[in-house]
Amino acid sequence: MAIKPLLTKDFATENLHQLSVYEKTGGYAGFKRALEMQPDELVELVKKSGLRGRGGAGFPTGNKWGFLPKGMYPRYLVCNADESEPGCFKDRYLIEKSPHQVLEGILIASYAIGCNLAFIYIRGEYLPQTEALETAIDEARQAGYLGKNVLGKGYDIDVILHRGAGAYICGEETALLTSLEGYRGEPRLKPPFPAVKGLYGKPTVVNNVETVCNLPHIVLNGADWFAAIGTPTGRGTRVWCMSGHVNRPGNYELENGTPIRELIEEHGGGVWKNRTLKAFQPGGASMMVLLPEHLDVALDFDAIQKAGSLAGAGAMVVMDETTCMVDAARRYVKFFHHESCGKCTPCREGTFWMANLFDQFEAGDAKPGDIDLLLDIGYNIDGRSFCPLGDASTWFPRSVIKFFREEFQEHISEKGCPFKKSVQEAVA
Amino acid sequence: MATVQTEQVTLTVNGQSVTVPKGTLILDAAKKIGIDIPIFCSHPKMAPVAVCRMCLVEVEKMPKLQPACAVYVADGMVVKTTTEQVNKYQKGVLEFLLINHPLDCPICDKGGECPLQDQTYQYGPGASRYQFDKAHFDKAVPLSDKILLDRERCVLCWRCTRFSEEISGERELALIQRGVHTIIGTFNDEPAKSAYQGNWTEICPVGALTSRQYRFISRPWDLDRTPSICPGCSMGCNIQIDARNNKIGRFQSRENLAVDDSWLCDYGRYSFPNFQRQSMERPRVRRDGRLEEVAYEDAIAFTVDALKRAGGQAAGWASPADTNEELVLFRRLFREVLRSPHLDHRSAAVPDAEPDDMSLAIADIERLDCAVVLGGQEVIDAAPVLHLRLFKAQRKGLTVLKVGAGQVAEAVAGVRPDCTVVGILATEANKAAAVELQSKLQRKVKGSVRRLLVTTGPNGRGAKDLGILPHLGPGYASLNGQAGKGRTEWPGAGLRALYVHESSPLHGFTPSDAESMWLPTLPLIVFHRFKPSPLDEMAHVILPGHAFTEKDGTVTNMEGRVQRISRGLDADWVLEDWRVFQEIANGLGAGWAYESVADITAELVGSLPPYAALNRGERVLWSEPG
Amino acid sequence: MALAKATAEQIKDLAARYPSRQSAIIPALWAAQHEQGYVTDEAMHEIAEHLGLPPSLIEATASFYSMFLTRPEGRHDVVICINAPCMLRGADEMVAYLERQLGVRDGGTTADGAITWHSTIECLGACGGAPMMQVDHRFEEDLTPERIDAIIERLRTTPASHDAEPKRPSPRPRAKKSQN
Repeated sequence: MAIKPLLTKDFATENLHQLSVYEKTGGYAGFKRALEMQPDELVELVKKSGLRGRGGAGFPTGNKWGFLPKGMYPRYLVCNADESEPGCFKDRYLIEKSPHQVLEGILIASYAIGCNLAFIYIRGEYLPQTEALETAIDEARQAGYLGKNVLGKGYDIDVILHRGAGAYICGEETALLTSLEGYRGEPRLKPPFPAVKGLYGKPTVVNNVETVCNLPHIVLNGADWFAAIGTPTGRGTRVWCMSGHVNRPGNYELENGTPIRELIEEHGGGVWKNRTLKAFQPGGASMMVLLPEHLDVALDFDAIQKAGSLAGAGAMVVMDETTCMVDAARRYVKFFHHESCGKCTPCREGTFWMANLFDQFEAGDAKPGDIDLLLDIGYNIDGRSFCPLGDASTWFPRSVIKFFREEFQEHISEKGCPFKKSVQEAVA
Repeated sequence: MATVQTEQVTLTVNGQSVTVPKGTLILDAAKKIGIDIPIFCSHPKMAPVAVCRMCLVEVEKMPKLQPACAVYVADGMVVKTTTEQVNKYQKGVLEFLLINHPLDCPICDKGGECPLQDQTYQYGPGASRYQFDKAHFDKAVPLSDKILLDRERCVLCWRCTRFSEEISGERELALIQRGVHTIIGTFNDEPAKSAYQGNWTEICPVGALTSRQYRFISRPWDLDRTPSICPGCSMGCNIQIDARNNKIGRFQSRENLAVDDSWLCDYGRYSFPNFQRQSMERPRVRRDGRLEEVAYEDAIAFTVDALKRAGGQAAGWASPADTNEELVLFRRLFREVLRSPHLDHRSAAVPDAEPDDMSLAIADIERLDCAVVLGGQEVIDAAPVLHLRLFKAQRKGLTVLKVGAGQVAEAVAGVRPDCTVVGILATEANKAAAVELQSKLQRKVKGSVRRLLVTTGPNGRGAKDLGILPHLGPGYASLNGQAGKGRTEWPGAGLRALYVHESSPLHGFTPSDAESMWLPTLPLIVFHRFKPSPLDEMAHVILPGHAFTEKDGTVTNMEGRVQRISRGLDADWVLEDWRVFQEIANGLGAGWAYESVADITAELVGSLPPYAALNRGERVLWSEPG
Repeated sequence: MALAKATAEQIKDLAARYPSRQSAIIPALWAAQHEQGYVTDEAMHEIAEHLGLPPSLIEATASFYSMFLTRPEGRHDVVICINAPCMLRGADEMVAYLERQLGVRDGGTTADGAITWHSTIECLGACGGAPMMQVDHRFEEDLTPERIDAIIERLRTTPASHDAEPKRPSPRPRAKKSQN
């Protein structure tokens, strides 16, 4: 498709991270325009644009804003930059290349919801990106984009950049708020939802980095313009993080609805080393595996869901014929085990048990009943855990058992990983 | 307060219809019709957290199983707690909980009263499919001199950490580490300082938090359980005496929402060794300077003779831990038989002993908008469970002002004039300041000002009500000029005998310096007590008596609530204290014929009408609330 | 070892920055770790005092997050990701190579005290540049044995603290008090 990128259109511009350069590309024009509008108009505009959250759940952004109870202040905007989903590295890219675009989006969202103090929660591992945002905030403050009486329009806004310290769970919005309040990043019961009772018990909106990056463009070009891009249920573009066995891994911003095949074969340059595609995984570590037969599925929330997976946070992990699917699942399960906050029983104990079982497959000690045992443990976690982390820990492994059960059986019958053995035999 | 008509909601649980107020949890709605949903983390005193996931049930129209402990009912809701899905899941979650649980039930103090054990039998899988090493943690970690923590048994239900945050507010226990490595503990495993640690052991649904004093003492099915009242202070917390083979194993809480709200303090809970009888003891009388063992009749006869000589010059001190029934007879013995006005139960001079206005009940603290704690921590130390009530109210918006006992002006300045109900809490020793503060505040604030005085001992209130005072009779009646001398005046008052009745070592007759000089000069000291003490050395007669654990009776707490204690331990060789009083009185010519404690209780209620509150479960009130 | 005066001041400033001083716990732990290399019990106690919070709360938070260190480590911190996207592009081989070159096991510190390394299953957000590692929290991507050699060489001779502080910390704006 021939649509030009929106968020990344100027990313080739040198020193785009600097305020002056960003302004030359039209930066902060969206915020200025927004300040000319009434906050309610902005909320309506974003609702009309059909923008859906880019953090994973795909909830309509304007609706999320609209849930804030009338007349309750203060209210907070928190930008979720805790990107930690294995396979995802788009927020990092968006921040690194154009921190002001992120900030501008935050300012627009803050103004729209009537927030005077916004937060960016950035994961602890993103140190260079923390620095980039710190610098951008300083520059913007000096330029009068944030502070008291911004641009003389009578609006006060400040932004606090808050660096996490290593906990995947903090990407879950209620855990993020708990963490931002200084506690252990454990998710909270919903309801109450953050829109009603969020940060410090006040109405709060949590928006992902990529989500807010869309806002300046929507404000400048209008809801109709945005709604014309993408698919009816997936307006606009998404930045896809491609990794794994492709020739050109990296971030690619594509119009929603683009076939997966185009992403992998054209943009990613196809499967590397002239090998064959075995499987791919959209969305990130949490999401179910898809097969070559799904290559013509569109990059779109609903289309991917229909195919049996989820678009999640926009990852695309490509696996060629040499991939041990059991080992891939093992890594993810160990990841979820490592990142389980420990709050609820099924996730805490279940991921621990699954991790043990996967290690047993890897070590060649698994027994025939272990495949069904894995499925059963998954049954007792999925839909039972406190937050989606536990649920998600079971999706990829269970989908791999569904499509590649024979690989598990081979691990049992050959007392170890058949892929590693063939590599060793080839070397010998 | 405006009456709010609570909206009712009707739902079905397992096909049975139930109507409950809006805002009820599924768990409680089910309980109302006798349907038990298994839980670990849920606790009626704490906000729902839904972490253990034991209580998941099916709710129609909801795709996932829902935590019954955290989901509120809705009209028309259809809940199912025994479907195949739920049963299978319950087996699954118990299997999860047990994969890292040591299953050391045979050596666990919780065995036999352990929700994890019970629910595993009822809902769990027969066997575990888990075949790997369990995660290992420290066992028998001393959290303090009172509590041991077994980190392997812990199922991370968060009850203890939530207690620390929501109930006591000390935030001393916390979750440390993450995921399967999560443990509970104090900062850096430093000794816990909380005054309420014993409650952690009671709310722990497994054997992770146990009392050091109860370690390996008993199995719950071997315990004899007796309802009683805590002997620690005048709060009147309801307890259960758990004893095995006539030996106290522990005191457990016994919920009384009006008094203790189901909690105990450690001072009271762990005071039980004080009430454990060490040996079989017989009465003794001093002959030729030496104490000789004698039978009760002999000791009583000796006492009668000696008291006859002292007559009106005999003084009587009864402990503020005695039962009301003992106090009734003790007063009659002195006032009516010996014709002596010199009666007291106090240890120091207390300015007066007018009936308190009794306008503030313990539970009413939750309905105040400002509470002045006159004396600060001293008041809390005198009745530690008060803090839990204050903190509970504080979480609901109560302003608590802690000031020194002498800081009346500061207290007045600190209370906002728009308060509608202000409470003053003080110890009885600071009553004058409390009364002064009350009248000053009454002029300042819009609403009412009430006070609650912490009395001394589990029955200091009863002792005052029943006239164990030198200047007042039962019901604070005037003695019409017949007032005697109070304890602090006894040395040098020319007295000829002292009868000390001390039923609790926690509230004993500890001689002051002046008394230490005076006691050896007395021709007669009758020491009628539960436990040996240094006073034994000066006594002419030692009469063994019962501890509160060994007798029936009633005690009156600080707010005037009369509560029953019951005999939980046998000490048959000890003559009941009231019988001793009766026999002495009869030896002196009285014709008492009480046959049981109940006779005395009945007489008390008949002769002192406010004590009829006992039979109605109400507080004894001496004047209308102001 | 008590925290330096400047760190203590920084922590107090942080407390004033947020609508709730408790929010300053993580930034305060970072400040302590930047100064002392890891988070000591004493530092946690001090943070608790500066923030007016019970120390158990500080430990509860500190121990939850994987980036707070509880023991002294080498001058440089090397973390290599072995999650699936990195595994697909040869992370295991890079781990084996790194281990061989450094001569210490996963989690260990080289004899010269220069490098503490460990593998991690926690994605570090550079799957597009896999295999990758973070050196003092900065990205090193598209690893090859040659690149690893060069990095090790550099680290052995650079004195920088292993837990780099963000460059040019901005002036701390004070948070506005919430307006009700």
